[in-house]
Amino acid sequence: MENKGLWAFGTRQVVYGAIGAALYGAFSLLTNLVPLPAAGNITFRPAVAVLIFFGIAYGPWVGLLAGFIGNTLGDMLAGWGFYWNWSLGNALMGMIPGLAMLMITNYRNKIDIAKAIGWGAAGVAVGMMVASLTEMMVGGIDLNTALVGYFTPAFIGNLVVIVILLPILMVAFAAVNARRGR
Amino acid sequence: MLVSWKYRPRNTFIQRLDPRSRLIFLACVILSLTIPNIWDIRLIFPLFLLTLTLYLLAQIEWKDVRRAWLFIFFLIFFIVGLNGMLSGRGGPTSVMNDTSAPLFTLPVYFPGTTWGFSLEITLVRIVFAITQMTRMLSMAILALPLPYTMDPNIYGVAFRKMGVSDKVSFTMDLAFRFLPTLARDLSITIDAQRARGYEMDSLKGGIVARLRRLAPLIVPVTMQSTVTGEEVIDAMDLRAFGTAPRTWLKDLHFARRDYLFIALGVSIFVAFCVLKWGFGIGEFWIPPALVAGLN
Repeated sequence: MENKGLWAFGTRQVVYGAIGAALYGAFSLLTNLVPLPAAGNITFRPAVAVLIFFGIAYGPWVGLLAGFIGNTLGDMLAGWGFYWNWSLGNALMGMIPGLAMLMITNYRNKIDIAKAIGWGAAGVAVGMMVASLTEMMVGGIDLNTALVGYFTPAFIGNLVVIVILLPILMVAFAAVNARRGR
Repeated sequence: MLVSWKYRPRNTFIQRLDPRSRLIFLACVILSLTIPNIWDIRLIFPLFLLTLTLYLLAQIEWKDVRRAWLFIFFLIFFIVGLNGMLSGRGGPTSVMNDTSAPLFTLPVYFPGTTWGFSLEITLVRIVFAITQMTRMLSMAILALPLPYTMDPNIYGVAFRKMGVSDKVSFTMDLAFRFLPTLARDLSITIDAQRARGYEMDSLKGGIVARLRRLAPLIVPVTMQSTVTGEEVIDAMDLRAFGTAPRTWLKDLHFARRDYLFIALGVSIFVAFCVLKWGFGIGEFWIPPALVAGLN
């Protein structure tokens, strides 16, 4: 039941949404011990590259579900609790790169990889901005702290992660697909 | 192959509760602390005692949760607690902008050099660190027993019966089932790469080198999971998943104890909101006796 539409929501999206969430949760759990300098309770998450990759490879629904459920799982199991605004931010961070799913066809091509990084950066910017600004309401912080203390380190940290790890994941995925004949 | 959590049926009050009432109660406790943004230890500590009691009622064997607890203790005491005490990170504005007189100063300098800085430890930050740790423990000890005491077969139906759509419920169900499997795959991959001389904890190189060093862990696990995903999709498509409204094998029914448990959770949430927004109680609080003792 192959469904390639951007907003299709079938078996493929259900399964990869779940796998993306579990991977994001498991990798986040591994690195939830590494806080970012100058940030509030924001941790360094190489897992963000996996989230962006799932959005790019399987579409916006998968990115959205993987971001929301994965962040919730990772935070809950690590004892951070549930912060709806950060889960929403992570959902957007996965969903926005998913909008480029149909534009990216060759995972080895440098232009396609650059496009993926660009859409990933847009996802990180929007997702972290929404989470940081809503933290003013949830955490009672001021605008300066939201932008300088939360958004900036989260954006830069996640951007570095996707610039380095996303191309590696894309090239590996191309190899796996070629071997599978898909 | 799917690996399940270390779930075991036990005849305890916690496991007799409907999973929905436990999830709703958990949501109520977390929202009670985060929506009105409670930082008052006088409200947080009784809540901690309540959640600790519920944890003990679950009667989970120590050997099952030992590793999880070591991880949580390390995170809460050494990362969050020390961070809170040294910098006030993650706290409300009153703690982040703390300008009170330091109780003592910790010099942090490279040995034999004048490079470094001094950390000023204040009473505000010490009390904040204790508050922050108690706050996080209150949520962690409520979430931790879930995988050990909730039958993995009822995750999906629990979310469905809470009004979530079939497909999203199934996504959540699968995510809960995949998490321990993927965590196990990650652990096996770490061991396998270490056997090949991989140094995960090596501090050599900058941030780029360290990120690149994560690739031998992240790539195999992620790629294997994409292959597994295709097999799961084929299996589900063969069973015509998503072609018609779904039925669930197990059914759930609320008992009187579930209504009481949910009522308790909702009451805590309402009480915290009323205290914070109605009476202004819930902001970061320092025992006056401690402040007086310093003056």
